Amino acid sequence: MTWIALAQTLTTWALGLVIAVVAAVVLGVAIGASPVVRALTASTIAFLRPIPSVALVPLAVLLYGTGREATLILVVYAAFWPVLVQVIAGVQDVDPALRTTARALRLRRGAYLRTVLWPSALPSMMTGLRLAATVALVLTITGELLIGTPGLGAAIELARSSGRTGTVLALVVVTGVVGVAINYGAAVLERRALRWHPSHRNVT
Amino acid sequence: MPVRSSTSTASLALPALALAACAATSPGSAEPGDLTEITVGAMPIVDTAALHLGISEGIFAEHGLDVAVVQAQGGAAIVPAVASGQHEFGFSNVISLLQARARGIELQIVSPASASSGDTSADLSAILTMPGSGINEPGDLAGRSVAVNTASNIGEVMVRTLVADGADPGEVDFIELPFPDMPAQLAAGRVDAVWITEPFLTLARDRGAEVVVFDYATVDPQMMIDAYVTTDTYADEHPEVVEAFSTAMTASLELATAQPEAARAAVAQYTDIAPEVLERLSMPSFPAEVNVASLELMAELAHAAGVLDDPGVATELLP
Repeated sequence: MTWIALAQTLTTWALGLVIAVVAAVVLGVAIGASPVVRALTASTIAFLRPIPSVALVPLAVLLYGTGREATLILVVYAAFWPVLVQVIAGVQDVDPALRTTARALRLRRGAYLRTVLWPSALPSMMTGLRLAATVALVLTITGELLIGTPGLGAAIELARSSGRTGTVLALVVVTGVVGVAINYGAAVLERRALRWHPSHRNVT
Repeated sequence: MPVRSSTSTASLALPALALAACAATSPGSAEPGDLTEITVGAMPIVDTAALHLGISEGIFAEHGLDVAVVQAQGGAAIVPAVASGQHEFGFSNVISLLQARARGIELQIVSPASASSGDTSADLSAILTMPGSGINEPGDLAGRSVAVNTASNIGEVMVRTLVADGADPGEVDFIELPFPDMPAQLAAGRVDAVWITEPFLTLARDRGAEVVVFDYATVDPQMMIDAYVTTDTYADEHPEVVEAFSTAMTASLELATAQPEAARAAVAQYTDIAPEVLERLSMPSFPAEVNVASLELMAELAHAAGVLDDPGVATELLP
């Protein structure tokens, strides 16, 4: 039964993370590319970002009841901001020399995005992804605990409401192990994706 | 020189993954059949034993219903879910239902869920204290702290009602604590008394807590504690489903009454209560008829306790 709960938690986590990352990358590139848009959205981002996702629980339940979608609202909201902020920073940090060279070569937008912007922003994006992966797990478990979406969090709450303290502690340990695995996986992904980057190369 | 990275190109495929993953979560198409699919919002507590017994014995299937029970973490989540149409039916204690109706949420009772066992020496709910606290009867609670699981709800109404017989309920210090935390907090002396229900009642007594009074049985031996409801709108639009649910529940409740051990065993299906605790805990009774007199009494008591403005909403809850 724990395996099913684990699979449910991981599915919700992965879904929420992917949605958050895709949205954050798209919006981050759009915002980061233009100083005007950056300035206009800065205060909105600063306002929305610190709102704790758990505060959205009542809203999520009202909109989606106790299914996966309700927890996804929490997960996506929490995981979105670290990635957005990192992507905006990454886009801003494109080497001006590269940008000038791209313009001189008359690169079209698609080629520019793929060969200049993406690799330049990738290190920042990977940092954001690593942060978001951890946050997404926290909110997945939280949502399951508070809302009742099936998964490890819901299993913890059921054991708790049945007075099974031992089971609660065991499930908490499982959650911790999942967190460690995700963190490790994110670090491995970061190393592989940034193999080519000077910061990851061995300098002799 | 353009920078090539297979990983960075591959990571651009994330959007495609996202779309595929989203498709995976959309609900599967319901297979055509004779059964109407309904969801019931409930809680993993002993009060809903009759519902689960009826489902596992095929009673709901016989009445043309395919019931999915969605367990909520607290009653506060169920009423909004029913009101918004997430669930066709929901479970809540009568005080929560009266308060919801008073707030304008148009719910109606379709079936009782459980009632007090009527036994003033063994019931599913009690006020407990530790030995030596000096609390021998409800009146002694004035000036002391009492934990309830939800403020301004059935626990507070019960405590205030019992204290009012001889002392001032206004002098009771109510503290909100989740049931699972009550046994430990009581034993540690951080709260003088607790209003608690099974299985935590048994767990707390195992830690040395003593019963002050079995509140439900003392206030009203035939107390209807909780019920299943639907919205007025759903009842108007799907009277045949409501009728089927109501009839199936009646049969389930009668079965639970005729076979109390089967009802007790049913609890193991949807909770994680340890079997040796399940054997010892007190089960509620399962009358099949809505107890109108009890509902009206609860409305009056809630009003007297200050948690319900208009006791007249009781009649609005009845179908």
